[in-house]
Amino acid sequence: MEHTKHLWRVLFILLLVAVAVVVGRHFVIPPSFGLQGFYRYDSLAEYAAKPVMHGGSASCAACHQDIAQQREQGKHQTVSCEVCHAPLALHAKEGAKTADMPLNRSVGLCAYCHQALKARPATMPQIDLREHLTKLEVITAKDDIPEGACVTCHDVHNPAMEQESPPEGNVSDANAVPATQ
Amino acid sequence: MQTQSPRPNNPSPEDARADVCRRDFVRQAAAAMSGVAIVVIMGESGAGASEEQAVGAASATRSSAYDPTKHRYIYLIDITKCIGCGACVRACEAENNVPPHYFRTWIERYMVSRTGADLTDSPNGGRDGFEPRVTGEDITKAFFVPKLCNHCSYSPCVQLCPVGASYRSPDGVILVDEKRCIGCGYCVQACPYGSRFLHPETHIASKCTLCYHRITKGLKPACVEACPVEARKFGDAEKVGDEVSELIATKAVGILKPELHTGANCYYVGLSQEVR
Ligand code: HEC
Ligand code: HEC
Ligand code: HEC
Ligand code: HEC
Repeated sequence: MEHTKHLWRVLFILLLVAVAVVVGRHFVIPPSFGLQGFYRYDSLAEYAAKPVMHGGSASCAACHQDIAQQREQGKHQTVSCEVCHAPLALHAKEGAKTADMPLNRSVGLCAYCHQALKARPATMPQIDLREHLTKLEVITAKDDIPEGACVTCHDVHNPAMEQESPPEGNVSDANAVPATQ
Repeated sequence: MQTQSPRPNNPSPEDARADVCRRDFVRQAAAAMSGVAIVVIMGESGAGASEEQAVGAASATRSSAYDPTKHRYIYLIDITKCIGCGACVRACEAENNVPPHYFRTWIERYMVSRTGADLTDSPNGGRDGFEPRVTGEDITKAFFVPKLCNHCSYSPCVQLCPVGASYRSPDGVILVDEKRCIGCGYCVQACPYGSRFLHPETHIASKCTLCYHRITKGLKPACVEACPVEARKFGDAEKVGDEVSELIATKAVGILKPELHTGANCYYVGLSQEVR
């Protein structure tokens, strides 16, 4: 046929393109792309390798047995240590203390959870801070609320004031998780 | 109308021959092209397969203790329990290094009055707690609604990512490949729940990962662990006797914006119709 030359040219160009695609994709597409779907599968391992910050209340118990026990017996048993303090990773690593743990004695810490709010479920013990403190004659109606007012009376790790029967309500400790590997 | 108008210039016999010739050429070229295409595809898939096995082996050794295909994570929020303390928001921030004033999880306060005034607020995402608020309205009900990524089964954000950076992992977590994301922000706009943002420093999409680095080690997400009233629960639908699956199967639960058919995997107890 007189036009086969054209065919060969087209074929040659197509071949070049094919080779360029096969070679090029090795450089453009990351190795694990498409293993499970239209994404780079190794990204999962990268996420899994990020550092764990919070160790859970059980991780504190290893070094603060007394306070952990105190909390366990009181009304704050469902409140994780790290909520009031800071993540484990900022304080201890591999069984040794690395930095000081913040001590937040401010009224604001208690107010996060105990400030009386309309939207708060009625089952949550909540107070109007000013009312609570004036009723107990800590301040008069026109004083500012002193920082650290709450911790002078309440033991933060076991805050209930009246002597009550041991923890009622069978709320299991939501925060007891295995220590970080 | 139904008859085709005759072609303006009826082809002469020579033209016809030329035509046939051209047609032949096109036909042969097409055949040749498809032949090449088949060779290319076979070659590619062949190379791909061997490469896949190599990579598969590599990632299997890397995370040999954890198999993502054996889990499917679900999340449950009990609005009737939430006290709006913001511990989850602070824990999320500390765990995931979330930049200030951006949120992977946040809390909204709904106050509903008889006049129907919109009294919803979320000061700093609820990170710093909530102040009492005098509205002058007759508040008939009020509640807190914590929100986070719903890790949808049919995520709009994943569907429109142009580079395959947003994806749903085999265990049902929507993640952003930080190395592939080009920061175009389409996913941020696509998410009907507002769960994504562009990171102010890295300029790529960022969102809740369900603390993937924790859950793959058998820990709970930081927000779940921080909650003092067990309003947040984390479960695995593939696990036999899973508490959250059981609650979803037996209790009245809802999801946000069910009309969008996103297949949200974050369930709510005590959901009210005011919640958007
Ligand atoms: C409700 C918030 C809260 C929780 C929960 C909490 N703490 Fe504290 N913690 C405080 C505050 C506030 C102080 C400072 C008390 C003071 O100075 O009177 C403190 C003080 C401490 C101290 C130093 C003071 C001392 O007595 O030596 C340690 C150690 C400590 N906490 C450990 C823990 C551990 C461990 C847990 C968990 C088992 C925990 N905390 C849970 C709020 C909390
Ligand atoms: C590896 C052991 C270890 C672990 C785990 C540990 N701590 Fe400590 N912590 C210490 C030591 C040591 C001190 C020094 C103070 C002391 O007890 O005399 C300390 C002190 C503290 C203090 C007082 C402030 C300070 O820094 O001196 C607080 C509060 C505290 N820890 C909270 C926690 C909490 C909350 C956790 C869990 C997230 C925790 N710790 C886990 C060893 C530990
Ligand atoms: C992260 C939330 C949180 C913080 C912060 C917090 N609490 Fe609590 N508190 C709780 C919960 C949850 C309970 C248990 C409520 C229940 O029994 O249902 C509780 C119980 C109490 C009780 C017992 C109430 C009763 O029923 O008798 C007192 C008192 C108390 N807290 C005081 C404090 C003080 C003082 C602070 C500040 C140092 C504080 N709390 C900080 C969550 C918190
Ligand atoms: C002068 C000591 C004193 C101080 C200061 C104090 N409290 Fe109390 N608190 C009490 C006593 C006593 C009770 C139990 C009797 C009552 O309910 O009034 C109590 C009860 C509570 C309760 C439980 C209320 C309930 O409904 O069961 C909470 C919550 C509480 N306090 C939080 C706080 C917070 C937050 C502060 C800081 C602003 C604070 N307290 C400061 C003495 C004190």
